[in-house]
Amino acid sequence: MSESHDDPLIARVAGELRRPVPLSPDFDARVMAAVRRAPPRLPVRVWAWVREPRTVAVSPLGGLAMAAGVAALVLVGAWGSRPSAISHRPSAVRAAGTAPSVTFVFLAPQASSVALAGDFDGWDAARLPMRREGPGLWTVDVPLAPGRYQYAFVVDGRRFVPDPSAPRASGEDFGTPTSVVTVGGAARVAGGSL
Amino acid sequence: MLAALACALGMPAAVRAQAERLGGRLDEPTRAAVAALVDSARAAGLPATPLVNKALEGASKGADGARITAAVRALAGDLTRARAALGPTASEPELVAGAAALRAGAAPAFLARLRSEYPGAPVVVPLAVMADLVARGVPADTAGRAVLALARAGVRDAELVAFRQSVERDIALGAPAGAAAAVRVNAAERDLGATTPTGSPGAAAQPPRKP
Amino acid sequence: MRQDEADGELVLRALGGDEEAFAGLVARHRGRGIRFAMAMLGDASDAEEALQDAFVRAYRGLKGCREPDRFGAWFLRILVNRCRTRGARRRVGAMFVRDEAAMERAAAPRGEDPEWREEIERALARLDPMQREAFLLKHVEGMEYEEMARLTGARIPALKMRVKRACDHLKVLLREVDDVRVP
Repeated sequence: MSESHDDPLIARVAGELRRPVPLSPDFDARVMAAVRRAPPRLPVRVWAWVREPRTVAVSPLGGLAMAAGVAALVLVGAWGSRPSAISHRPSAVRAAGTAPSVTFVFLAPQASSVALAGDFDGWDAARLPMRREGPGLWTVDVPLAPGRYQYAFVVDGRRFVPDPSAPRASGEDFGTPTSVVTVGGAARVAGGSL
Repeated sequence: MLAALACALGMPAAVRAQAERLGGRLDEPTRAAVAALVDSARAAGLPATPLVNKALEGASKGADGARITAAVRALAGDLTRARAALGPTASEPELVAGAAALRAGAAPAFLARLRSEYPGAPVVVPLAVMADLVARGVPADTAGRAVLALARAGVRDAELVAFRQSVERDIALGAPAGAAAAVRVNAAERDLGATTPTGSPGAAAQPPRKP
Repeated sequence: MRQDEADGELVLRALGGDEEAFAGLVARHRGRGIRFAMAMLGDASDAEEALQDAFVRAYRGLKGCREPDRFGAWFLRILVNRCRTRGARRRVGAMFVRDEAAMERAAAPRGEDPEWREEIERALARLDPMQREAFLLKHVEGMEYEEMARLTGARIPALKMRVKRACDHLKVLLREVDDVRVP
């Protein structure tokens, strides 16, 4: 260590410089005002509407649109222009006496076809083909009774792809991961034994 | 056999149709093995639909018969443990969610404790949130403690989902998974005015403590 | 914000859009920040502007704070860079311009010996900026050389040399003053 470390003069200088330095009384307010004027960070803008109250039907659409939106915003941001807000909103439309309809969305600009396969359709990709809406966005609406369902997107009829923004099912029974959607609410007793 | 089984259980038409096609999509030994597992499960009062779905998933993904049979057997075991923990009145969605939580690492005592925190109300979403948090990297005991703490604070399904999304967001932004869950549950408890310390879901079930 | 909330908790909440949490980080770290900025820049207005700028940049780039519990060190690096940028734009010698208004709002603490404080500031101003920065980080902020290397990007031997030269120069400048001051 340098001998300066023990020099009494240096120590006195350092001690003097460690004294508290007063700030303008409105410093904090000015900082927070500047912070609020600062361009919003991408994740906060995108996440803000996801936190808004919604029905108990957990739609992957919110997360997926957000993931797609974040990807889009990142691209826009990289080119220097200011990102715009996401316009998608999750929907859990319920007609009287029916199960809520959950909208699934998947971003796959290069795909020729995308289908939805899961516990709700016997994992038959032919049953729930997704329709193309907008550049690279595929969607389908599925009425789901309360419960927890595993699913995946089937791209070009052969590749099982998990939902990038939905929770994953624990473990991979068959070598490819699956995603999970949970719909809350009351349900009938299982087994039919009562 | 599977189709008749499906009809007898009153399974959704789509799944019945799939069960009918299962015979054509599995080789005979696998079909027989799966059918035997489904029969046993049904005799034990377990739902058949999740087991059929698991077999159909394997068939769709081109898995071999042994792997399909093993997956169905494992799920039947999980459903059995979930029923033991949640009680005989557990619904099919609760059993499926409970099986997922057990597979994620929750102890049966956690399921029983959760049931006691929501008497008379479905616990599908709390169980699912616990499993989903683990899938995002939150340690199982941390995820279980978080869900139990929120349950004791009276948090309902929609808020549990929002909690999970908050934690996922923090993780996506770079926060360590366990820390993200702990921070969010502490914040939620403060917001709700709950102060009761949490217990471990791996320990023996304790009488519920009220805040 | 609870007083016992760690920086890590505040950072995570701020990332979630909780502005009050970020305000808590500002309150907690502004004291050290203005102390450093004032010693580096020698002017109260400049120092406050640099500090405010650093906080805004920290807010905008908060997701880059990979260790939320070490927000302070991460923030100090941002502040160091802001002071470097601001210092490079200022004319040499501007520090010595003092008018009545500047004296009124001077951020220098009216400690026991304001003249001694002023002499220190004059001496600091005469140091090479990199030496001044290294001296402040080492002897005022009490950082270890490893941490200084991470913060500044400079190698440890270079940092040690800067600190030594700063100390030697300060001793020369201030010992004359000190000798005069001794009763």
